[in-house]
Amino acid sequence: MNDSSAIRPKRVTFLIYLLPSVILFAFMVLVPVILAVRYSFFNWSGGPKMDFIGLENYMTLLTDSYFWNAFLNNLLIVFFSVFGQIGIAFVISIFLMSKVVKLKGFHRTVIFIPVVLSSVVIGFLWGMIYNQDAGMLNWFLQTIGLESWIKPWLDDPSLVMYSVTVPIVWQYIGFYLIIFLAAMQSINNEVYEMAELDGATGFKKMRYITLPLLSSTIKIAIMLCIAGNMKAFDSIFVMTGGGPGSSSTVMAQYAYDTSFKAYKLGYGSTISVGIMVLSVGLIIISQLFGGKNRA
Amino acid sequence: MKTEQEFSLNIMSLPSKPQFQNFIDAFEIGKMGTYFWNSAFVSLFTVIFTILFGFFTAYILARFKFPFRNVIYFMFLTGMLIPIHGLLIPIFIEFKALGLLNKHVTLIFPYVAFNLSMAIFLFENFIKTVPLDVEEAAVIDGSSSTNTVLRIVLPLCMPVISTAVILFFLGAWNEFPFALVLIESANLRTLPIGLTNFNGQYTANYTQMLAAMAIVVLPVIIVYLAFSKKVMQGMTAGAVKG
Repeated sequence: MNDSSAIRPKRVTFLIYLLPSVILFAFMVLVPVILAVRYSFFNWSGGPKMDFIGLENYMTLLTDSYFWNAFLNNLLIVFFSVFGQIGIAFVISIFLMSKVVKLKGFHRTVIFIPVVLSSVVIGFLWGMIYNQDAGMLNWFLQTIGLESWIKPWLDDPSLVMYSVTVPIVWQYIGFYLIIFLAAMQSINNEVYEMAELDGATGFKKMRYITLPLLSSTIKIAIMLCIAGNMKAFDSIFVMTGGGPGSSSTVMAQYAYDTSFKAYKLGYGSTISVGIMVLSVGLIIISQLFGGKNRA
Repeated sequence: MKTEQEFSLNIMSLPSKPQFQNFIDAFEIGKMGTYFWNSAFVSLFTVIFTILFGFFTAYILARFKFPFRNVIYFMFLTGMLIPIHGLLIPIFIEFKALGLLNKHVTLIFPYVAFNLSMAIFLFENFIKTVPLDVEEAAVIDGSSSTNTVLRIVLPLCMPVISTAVILFFLGAWNEFPFALVLIESANLRTLPIGLTNFNGQYTANYTQMLAAMAIVVLPVIIVYLAFSKKVMQGMTAGAVKG
């Protein structure tokens, strides 16, 4: 960091530059975190009556099967996303880097489109695809003669989590694709040429050059994937609203339901704290795990 | 662009006669016009304030040493890690206590705050690459510090700012959970929330819904196709450097 006294503005100007962001940020991020912790100790439904109940909400949370079920649903999405998004994006990016594929820019642009779309729109689109009577998926299955595969994709409690995960995985493949492409383009071409001279084939080049050189990018991608999918909410909210029952409820959905449908704002705050702790914890764990691999 | 009847007969076929009644209905019955305006309003001001606040703060953070500099920098960085969905309920409580729910400006506060981390991160990195000599020369020539920042540093930062504008516009346009929780009045809803209206419990008018979706998606697609390089750069900038 350079510190030049010549260009240093006056004290007042200095503060005018700095303070609006700091105040707004504190107001929107730090204060809510503190509030969440504070209200998590109360039994409160939004009215003037607030009972301090100490750690009781936390005790409830620890044994709340709905919350942990929601957490498991989040983990399921994370699991499929790490393998689905990152895996598929990796494979596509290798194809796009190879000389076989034409119109690379076009493919890239098209694959990235879902990333910029609203998750709500994605949710609606897939809601239509899955629709039991008029949905495209069932229509397609019928057309190719697989009537027995026709299912109520979003109404079967044992299927619904997989059904809602597919759009989430599909939506963000483009995002990781761009990350991988950028990283692969930065790999020096000479490395591949050397390998080719030594007789390496396409798959070997991928396995022994691309993969190791991309390992740090892949780790970042996994971390982003975890962080991103812990907050999965929009498209599931639109597709199923967490149902049927609570079979597709994720943590954010559960906090929303508890706070705005059951009006338990105190417990809702406790869930919020739970979400923050679990998400940050998971990210830290994934980082530690990644760090070990590096050594 | 198909009629409801045609749609239910065969979803995949092309419309026999393209018609725009669904779009008209979407605007009239579904109030998409109002939502469109609300979304535009919120997105516009989110972008303006994020860039404004973010730029000046990033400038200070990039150029000067001062007490608590690292504390403040770290605070903004953690903003990229905190799962904002965990803040949904506490922010609702805070806004309720302050009487900030259900206003035209309500959504601008959280959107700007959540974008600030990214903005400051992007700008700070960029400003560091701008040579200091130019600014010093300007000051020696008698330019005031505000003048220097606005006339010299800001124009030099245009590439990264334009990326940020597109990025934050898309983010604000598509945002869903906060718009859902903080806005109750039907007249203040943004487009993504407006869309959920079409999904009634028992009736689902697919053709109207598709028309409404087209209205939501069209600006995004246009912006994206026009600036696809910048969009990709912006969205992955944090990742690649992180």
